[in-house]
Amino acid sequence: MAGKISEKVFFAILGVPTIICLAVFLWITSILLSGIGTLRLDLLTTSVLKGGFFEMIVGTAYLLLGATGVAGPIGVFAAIYLTEYARHGRLTRIIDQAINNLAGMPSIIIGLFGYTFFCRQLGLGISLAAGWLTLALMMLPIVIRGTEEAIKMVPNTFKEAALALGASKWETTKSITLPSAAPGIITSVLLGIARVAGETAAILFTACVLVTRGLPKSPFEPVMALAFNLFVKIVALGEPPEKVFGIALILFLLVISFAAVGIALRIYYRRKQPWLR
Amino acid sequence: MLLCALLSIIFLFLMLLFIAREGMQALLTFGMDFVTGHVWDTNLNLYGALPLIYGSLMVVAGALMVAVPLGVATAIFVEEVLPFSLRDLIKSLIELLASIPSVIYGFIGVLFLAPRVASIFGLSSGTVALTASLVLAVMTVPTIVSISGETIAAVPKEYKEAALALGATKWQTVKDVVIPTAKSGILASVMLGFGRAIGETVAVLMVAGNVAMIPTPPWNFLSPVYTLTAVIAMQMGEAAIGTLEYSALFGLGLILFIITLIVNSLADILVKRGVKRLGG
Repeated sequence: MAGKISEKVFFAILGVPTIICLAVFLWITSILLSGIGTLRLDLLTTSVLKGGFFEMIVGTAYLLLGATGVAGPIGVFAAIYLTEYARHGRLTRIIDQAINNLAGMPSIIIGLFGYTFFCRQLGLGISLAAGWLTLALMMLPIVIRGTEEAIKMVPNTFKEAALALGASKWETTKSITLPSAAPGIITSVLLGIARVAGETAAILFTACVLVTRGLPKSPFEPVMALAFNLFVKIVALGEPPEKVFGIALILFLLVISFAAVGIALRIYYRRKQPWLR
Repeated sequence: MLLCALLSIIFLFLMLLFIAREGMQALLTFGMDFVTGHVWDTNLNLYGALPLIYGSLMVVAGALMVAVPLGVATAIFVEEVLPFSLRDLIKSLIELLASIPSVIYGFIGVLFLAPRVASIFGLSSGTVALTASLVLAVMTVPTIVSISGETIAAVPKEYKEAALALGATKWQTVKDVVIPTAKSGILASVMLGFGRAIGETVAVLMVAGNVAMIPTPPWNFLSPVYTLTAVIAMQMGEAAIGTLEYSALFGLGLILFIITLIVNSLADILVKRGVKRLGG
C-alpha cells in the first residue's frame, strides 16, 4: 500500500513541470490578450502613416503567400520523390540529414545567407522576392517532413489497386496518393506558415524596411512586416513596449491561429483516417 | 522531383560556401585570434569572438539547466501518466508554446520579465544573462518535450508489460525500463534544444543586455552578455559591405553554422541509433 501511495506522490510531483509549462503559455497569452482593449478594428485598415497597421499586415501576407508559393510545390515534390520514387540508400540518407540540418539552422544564418545570395549575388536587393526565397528556405523542411508523413499514411492497398488497374506510377501518385494525402499536406503548409509568419531574423536584412509609401508595387521593392516593425521599434527606436502592444497582439493572433488550425487538423486526420474505419 | 529533393543539400552547401566566402577576410586577418580573441570592438576594428561565444554558451547552459529537467519530466508525465484523452490536448498546447514567434518572447521579456529580474536582484537593469536564459528555457522546453516524448512513446509496450508482470511498480518501470530505453532519444532532444537555443536571435538580443565582455566572475548570471546571434543582428545593418566588420559578422555566422551542423548531426545519429536499437 505504501508503495502505491508513494508512487502516486511521485507521479503528482512529475506533473508539476507540465503545469508550469501550461501556466507559462497561459500567462503569455493572457498578457497579450489583456491588450485587446487598445486594438481598434479600424486601425487594421488604416495606413501606417496615419498610425494604423495596414501596410504591415498586408506586407506580412505578401511575404507568406510568396514563401508558400515557393516552398509548397518544391517541398511536396521533394517529399514525393523521397517517399515514392527514391531507392533507399546513401543518397536518401544524405538528403535526409540535409533536411534535418536545414530545419535546425538558426534563422539568423538563413538571413545572412539570404542577404549574400539572394539580395547581392542574384541582385534582388532588399526586396519582397528576396524575402520569399529566404523564408521559403525555412518553410521547406517543415513542408517536406509533413508531406512525407502524410504520404506514408496512405495505405499501400490504394496504390496497389491503382497500379493493378494499369495506372502508371505517376498517375497513381497524382490521382490516388496526393488526393488522399492532401489534408496532411495542407496541414504541413499551415504549420510552415506559422513557423515563418513571426520570423524576424531571416527578413531583418533581406526584405524589410521600417516604413514604405504604400504597398510594394513589384516583388523587387522592400516591404513592411509586423514582426520586423515590432522588433525595430523596441530595439532600435527604443519605443516603450506599451506603445507597440497592438502589433504584438496582431502578430500573436496571426501566428497562433495558423499553428492552432494546423495542429488541430493534424490530430483530426491522424485519428480519423477515413480508410481506417 | 529529384532536383527538389536535392535542393536541401544544394542550399546547405551554398550557405556554407557563401558565408565562408564573406567571412574569409576576417578569418585571414585574425587567424585563430578570431575565435580566441578577448576584444570585440568596432571602434578599434578588433574582432575576437571569445566573449560572444562565451555569452552564447552561457545563456544556453543556463537555459538548458531549467529546460532539460522541466522538459524531460513533462515528456514522461504526458506520455506515461496522463490519460490518453488529455495527451493530445496538452501536447498541442506545448506545441503552441513553440510556435509563438521569438520577437513576441522578446517583447514579453522586455515588458515583464526584465523589470522583475531587476527588482528581485536589485539591479539597475534587468536585461542580463539570467533573463535571457529564462526566456530561452521557455522557448527550448517544447523541443525537448516533443522529441523525448516521441522516443518515450516509441518504447515497445512489451518491455513495460514484462517489467510490470515481474512485479515492478509503474514508477519502477518508468525509471528502470522506459527511461534507459529512451535514453538516446532524450539525449538527442537535449542536443536539438541546444541547437535551437544557441541559434535563437531576436528574443535573446532583446533581453541579454548586449555587452561584449565575459562577466566577472564568469558564472555571474546577473551581468549582461552579448551572443553570437545578437551581434550579427545588431551590427549587420550598419556594417558597410566589404569592411572588416562586415566580414567579421559572417565569420561569426560561420562559427554558428558549424556549431549547429555538429549538434544537429549528433542528434540525428542519436535518434537513428535509438530507433535501430528498438529494432525499428
